[in-house]
Amino acid sequence: MSATLKPYLTAVRHTLTAAMCLENFCSQVVERHNKPEVEVRTSKELLLTPVVISRNEKEKVLIESSINSIRISIAVKQADEIEKILCKKFMRFMMMRAENFIVLRRKPIEGYDISFLITNFHTEQMYKHKLVDFVIHFMEEIDKEISEMKLAMNARARIVSEEFLKHF
Amino acid sequence: MILLEINNRVVEETLTVKIKNAQAKLKNESIDITVADFDGVLYHISNINGDKTKIRTSISLKFYKQLQEHGADELLKREYGPYLVAPEPGYNVSVLLDLENIPENWQEYVKKLGLLKRNCFASVFEKYFDFQERGDEGQKRAVIPYRDDETMYVEAKSDRVTVVFSTRFRDEDDVVIGKVFMQEFREGLRASHTAPPVLFSHREPPIELRDTNATVDNNVGYVTFVLFPRHTARNTRDNTINLIHMFRHYLHYHIKCSKAYIHSRMRAKTSDFLKVLNRARPENKSTDKKTISGRTFIRRD
Amino acid sequence: MDGKLPACVIDVGTGYTKLGFADNKEPQFIIPSAIAIKETAKVGDTTSRRLNKGVEDLDFFIGDEAFDATGYSVKYPVRHGLVEDWDLMEKFLEQCIFKYLRAEPEDHYFLLTEPPLNTPENREYLAEIMFESFNVPGLYIAVQAVLALAASWTNINVEDRCLTGVVIDSGDGVTHVIPVAEGYVIGSCIKHIPIAGRNITYFIQSLLREREIGIPPEQSLETAKAIKEKYCYICPDIAKEFAKYEADPGKWIKKYEGINSVTKQPFTVDVGYERFLGPEIFFHPEFANPDFTTPISQIVDDMIQNCPIDVRRPLYNNIVLSGGSTMFKDFSRRLQRDIKKTVDARLKLSETLGGGKLTPKPIDVNVISHHMQRYAVWFGGSMLAGMVCWKHRKM
Repeated sequence: MSATLKPYLTAVRHTLTAAMCLENFCSQVVERHNKPEVEVRTSKELLLTPVVISRNEKEKVLIESSINSIRISIAVKQADEIEKILCKKFMRFMMMRAENFIVLRRKPIEGYDISFLITNFHTEQMYKHKLVDFVIHFMEEIDKEISEMKLAMNARARIVSEEFLKHF
Repeated sequence: MILLEINNRVVEETLTVKIKNAQAKLKNESIDITVADFDGVLYHISNINGDKTKIRTSISLKFYKQLQEHGADELLKREYGPYLVAPEPGYNVSVLLDLENIPENWQEYVKKLGLLKRNCFASVFEKYFDFQERGDEGQKRAVIPYRDDETMYVEAKSDRVTVVFSTRFRDEDDVVIGKVFMQEFREGLRASHTAPPVLFSHREPPIELRDTNATVDNNVGYVTFVLFPRHTARNTRDNTINLIHMFRHYLHYHIKCSKAYIHSRMRAKTSDFLKVLNRARPENKSTDKKTISGRTFIRRD
Repeated sequence: MDGKLPACVIDVGTGYTKLGFADNKEPQFIIPSAIAIKETAKVGDTTSRRLNKGVEDLDFFIGDEAFDATGYSVKYPVRHGLVEDWDLMEKFLEQCIFKYLRAEPEDHYFLLTEPPLNTPENREYLAEIMFESFNVPGLYIAVQAVLALAASWTNINVEDRCLTGVVIDSGDGVTHVIPVAEGYVIGSCIKHIPIAGRNITYFIQSLLREREIGIPPEQSLETAKAIKEKYCYICPDIAKEFAKYEADPGKWIKKYEGINSVTKQPFTVDVGYERFLGPEIFFHPEFANPDFTTPISQIVDDMIQNCPIDVRRPLYNNIVLSGGSTMFKDFSRRLQRDIKKTVDARLKLSETLGGGKLTPKPIDVNVISHHMQRYAVWFGGSMLAGMVCWKHRKM
């Protein structure tokens, strides 16, 4: 783990733990509705100031919280073209399976690669600290996975080309 | 499977079954099959004039006219000789198999029919390999539009034959993956000293083709193989042709396989993430245990 | 290159995969839906265990070659009609396309099949593979039962062609009875019958075991299978059929000749009553399975009675057979007669109950049998994919 990653993740962890303070809140506009306020944005009073934690220009996390919901958007490191498409593919792959992921938002917030939306119902059914663990685990693993995939791709390309040329 | 096969399985298996049936004195059934192969090639296996003992295998290539200019007809005559028949309308070459008169070495013959497409392609290579052998430099470059928007160029010098492929990537992402592969092809000489040098350029055609109307486009790549006399010699040229005419598909096949590989990695990782997320749920307090026969096991304290 | 090249039609079944190009009468390949992969001894769950650094994932065989490969373990990506392992499925398709069909997937449209009641997720995963890995220009995923219905169109006038009917699909493992109305499967009414090709083979095997001693034990299953495929048929009435055999055994009893695979000595088997008793278990399942006694004709009738009332008549009118185990001679005639009997009895009853005041309109029962029955699903797909409208429309 490089020197800056640890403090970055620690900062995200603490911010998330603090921000994930949600309570049930019914819509003020439509009777008997209950909507994530961070998405519908009906009233300014229900929203908190969003926080951006960034490690560098490309890697950052946006945490927006409200009375009954919190939205976490992550921008993943993409050093070159190949990492960019791998990241794009992976995020799309996961979002196709958002149904299983419960807290995954089907579309990322603009400028970010993936977003999670956690509501008070989620925090009531699941352990809060474990949810935070999940987000941190995700951030740790995703970089690793993408760079591993890139290495594997290069290795494949090498074997494939050598195999072809060997037959001449 | 790393290398793609060069023979057509459908043609081979269909004809083998036919011959075996005929040899076992079974009734000949009529046949009418149309199958495709790489590069938009179509095969049609049918009976001539409803005669069930005469099986005609026809092939159609979009670029056969260009191949003809480079001696495809002569090469096919050499390979298939007496079996060639007048081409079926809509197809370029037709070869006959007579079930009443099965050749002695039919296995070999069927194998040859499976290589029909490869042999059509071979003509242009053989011709330019010959030019190189004779040191004939003044020949025009051969241009074979082997797919709708992809072209192959072959040119002979006294010490080398250069083969340039243009290939188009349908998908933006494939361009990136393709570039990774091409990078490695360029450095392939490290692996094998007998391999031909490979050059690659993305978007722009190589200098030799600057004066032609070769496409310039973000999704186009140009691959140049420089074949030296050691590749074009009589005893190695067949192998060289086998490899090089499948190059485009080899590349695209592996781009697709690596996407499949990425998919399986993503499946593994996604299920891993799900496992971590599910740890956040409080465990179900279901304490009823089942015995091996399926009965519920109740603890009496 | 669109338009001119034929579409690829791939029907991946539990046991066998049928693949070929559209517009042909028969699939070009019929291979077992098996894949042989190298298993590593790493720990962890299956998905992560299979990951590798090189191109080991290209080291696999499918179809018949899977069984010949030594040092590999054979897996089946499809179970009970549903895809269980998508990694293996993706690889399986990879070789189907590049090794067997030899098609550049970017140039061809594809028609794949799914079982009735497939989940939307599974359909999505399949589309994801086809579009993202293989860049296909167009894809259609058809329901197998609907294709089987379409396959029966060969014998029907153009104006009578419809997509309403009952499909009886009997393969090796299980028999399904599936009602289809206007191209849509009535999912709630599907019935499964635990009697299919394999059960017939076992039943014949047990009959032979009691009588014939010349069959080498290790070959008894394949002998039974060969006899089933070669000599079996459906009789109108068992008692009469027994009498027929008694009267003139020479005419009816056949001889099957086989060769012992070890000693290479030929052996012969007398094939007698099992010729009609084997497939009879469709109509008298109690012969083979004491737990299941409902004949197939009654199951079809019950199922149609469960369907919405407005489709019942067209369903009776168009009962289509599909799959290898429906190939027995006169299967359709017997089934039609038996169903007709039940239907007529019901109408008669309602007439008497109504005091004879109302005469119900008779119901036409039609069981359709055609040449393409064995690969009905594939053939239906081939026909559908070959139609002109398909070529101009991107799915």
